[in-house]
Amino acid sequence: MSLIEMNSICKSYRNIGFETQVLKNITLRINEGDYVSIIGPSGAGKSTLMAIAGCLSQPTSGEYFLDGEEVGRLSDWKLSRVRNEKIGFVFQAFHLLPGVTALDNVVLPLVYSRKTPSNIKDRAREVLAKVGLEHRLHHTPGQLSGGEQQRVTIARSLINNPPIILADEPTGNLDSRNGIETMKTFDKLVADGKTVVLITHDSDVAEHADRIISIRDGEIASDTASQSPAGSSSLSENPK
Amino acid sequence: MKFLTSFSIATRALLSHKTRTFLASLGILIGIASVIVMVATGKGSQQEVMDVIAGMGENMITINAGEMKRRGGRLRLSGNVITLTPRDAKRIADEIDEVELVAPFEERRMNAKFDNNTSETSIAGSTLDFPLIRGYKIEDGEMFTEKDLKTASRVAVIGKTTVKNLFGDEDPVGQVVKVHFIPFKIIGVFETKGVDTNGLDQDDLILIPLPTLMRRIVNQTHVSRIFVKISSRENILPGTEKIRELLRESHKLKDEKEDDFTMVSQLDLEEMKRETSELFTKLIVGVAAISLLVGGIGILAVMLISVKERTREIGIRRAVGATRRDIIRQFLYESLIIGIIGGGLGIALGVGLTLGLTHWGDWTLLLDKNSIWTASWVCALIGIVFGVFPAIKASKLDPMEALTIE
Repeated sequence: MSLIEMNSICKSYRNIGFETQVLKNITLRINEGDYVSIIGPSGAGKSTLMAIAGCLSQPTSGEYFLDGEEVGRLSDWKLSRVRNEKIGFVFQAFHLLPGVTALDNVVLPLVYSRKTPSNIKDRAREVLAKVGLEHRLHHTPGQLSGGEQQRVTIARSLINNPPIILADEPTGNLDSRNGIETMKTFDKLVADGKTVVLITHDSDVAEHADRIISIRDGEIASDTASQSPAGSSSLSENPK
Repeated sequence: MKFLTSFSIATRALLSHKTRTFLASLGILIGIASVIVMVATGKGSQQEVMDVIAGMGENMITINAGEMKRRGGRLRLSGNVITLTPRDAKRIADEIDEVELVAPFEERRMNAKFDNNTSETSIAGSTLDFPLIRGYKIEDGEMFTEKDLKTASRVAVIGKTTVKNLFGDEDPVGQVVKVHFIPFKIIGVFETKGVDTNGLDQDDLILIPLPTLMRRIVNQTHVSRIFVKISSRENILPGTEKIRELLRESHKLKDEKEDDFTMVSQLDLEEMKRETSELFTKLIVGVAAISLLVGGIGILAVMLISVKERTREIGIRRAVGATRRDIIRQFLYESLIIGIIGGGLGIALGVGLTLGLTHWGDWTLLLDKNSIWTASWVCALIGIVFGVFPAIKASKLDPMEALTIE
């Protein structure tokens, strides 16, 4: 069974009488354990697709099955639960709570979880160790480098053990060295069995994935297997 | 989400903006504090007035000759009525069971002279019961006697203010003052009594036997007042009724004729003062409502700014699974805590001011436990009520838009 199954997803925005169609008839399947890149120029609809895939926004029409459940028409409350349990987000701008320690930032999804494990902090330490930040537990985002912040975000996306990690331009705000580090972390997650969806406009980043879906003007332009196997490619020294 | 978790999220958010939190609660703080002080002032002055009323004479009825009208907020006699006499006083004492003491009373404001000092004072004539009814106590010397009354002798007991005016620091007992060219020997001095409900100085008087005043000075047979002490508080009303019947009969008033006297009991005075203090209470409630409304608006404004400023934080929380209700709860807790902080500090300030003014200032303030209790839940209520709108606004933000906001 596909983890993500989209059938004829359309999304349009109405703005002062004009209707802008951002996504047109997107149909795609992503299976458990897949490592997928969604690539396209800015304005192609990548972010909208990611918002719908991450249940942050709902399609105008079409069906979206996430882990077997039709989530295209769920109530706001249920969508919140789905986001909490099924999806881990990694954002370009990190989106960490300012002034809050790495540990507490990582714990955040568990704060809103209904099945909170008893030793939240131990679990947070565990995932922070996984991304190599066991020595930065009590630092606030302001005291961390960009790469470290992004790894805190990844740790946060992992803590509730969701099946899917959605990463929106994860290397966009990082220098090349930190970008490589971050991509290595994703490669490792896939190796551990997670499903990772990368959204990027950088073909070098996209190459890390096993499968590259290219979006142009709100439609899928191509859906091909990557040339190089996961994790073996290296980023160019100067990723944008 | 558990109560404690949302509570600690709210607390942490407030702690990271201490100045703003304090400013938001300032309106409530000042409102609550001023209400507590005002209520204490009201209570204090009410207590003071009640003490004065009780001090004028316990279970006392004053019978005034003529009709009494309220003019300029005070009761004044109108007309010159000559039907009230010492004989009425004697009949009241003899015939009515509820009556304990009776003192017919007449007074004139006149000059009293000692050496070269002249002072206008109240020359009061009454009987032996007068000090007992009105609560005057002899501090020095003695009260005149039954024999002085019978012989209309020229002796006087004088109040502290008059002593000061005429004698300064000298001991007045045994001295002679002249009133209306008649020499009076001072045989006693009253203890200080203070002002009455009309604000008149009760210590500015020279008390002489009633017959002396009536025969030697004013030359009349009627009196303008009779003071009566009733045996108990419960008997004031029936006693008043019996006195009225007796006086109407004695003054030969036919059914349709109005009373030619006016009775004011301690209960009437208390009632009058209670009305005044009720007005004061309404005023306090009004002022309280306005200041708390202003305080609430302060909370509203700060919370709205806070929601706007933390749009991205809201987006982050929503993205990791916070429901609308979680967001509402978080912001409601914040405004609730602001309200409680304001209320708590307000109560502390109000109580502090009240105790301080009582201790160091010349004020009579009475802390009202009710007002403190009310304040503590009202401030919480305001925090919630004025926090609802910002909280709902926060929860309605679209998660995706909130995340991408600049």
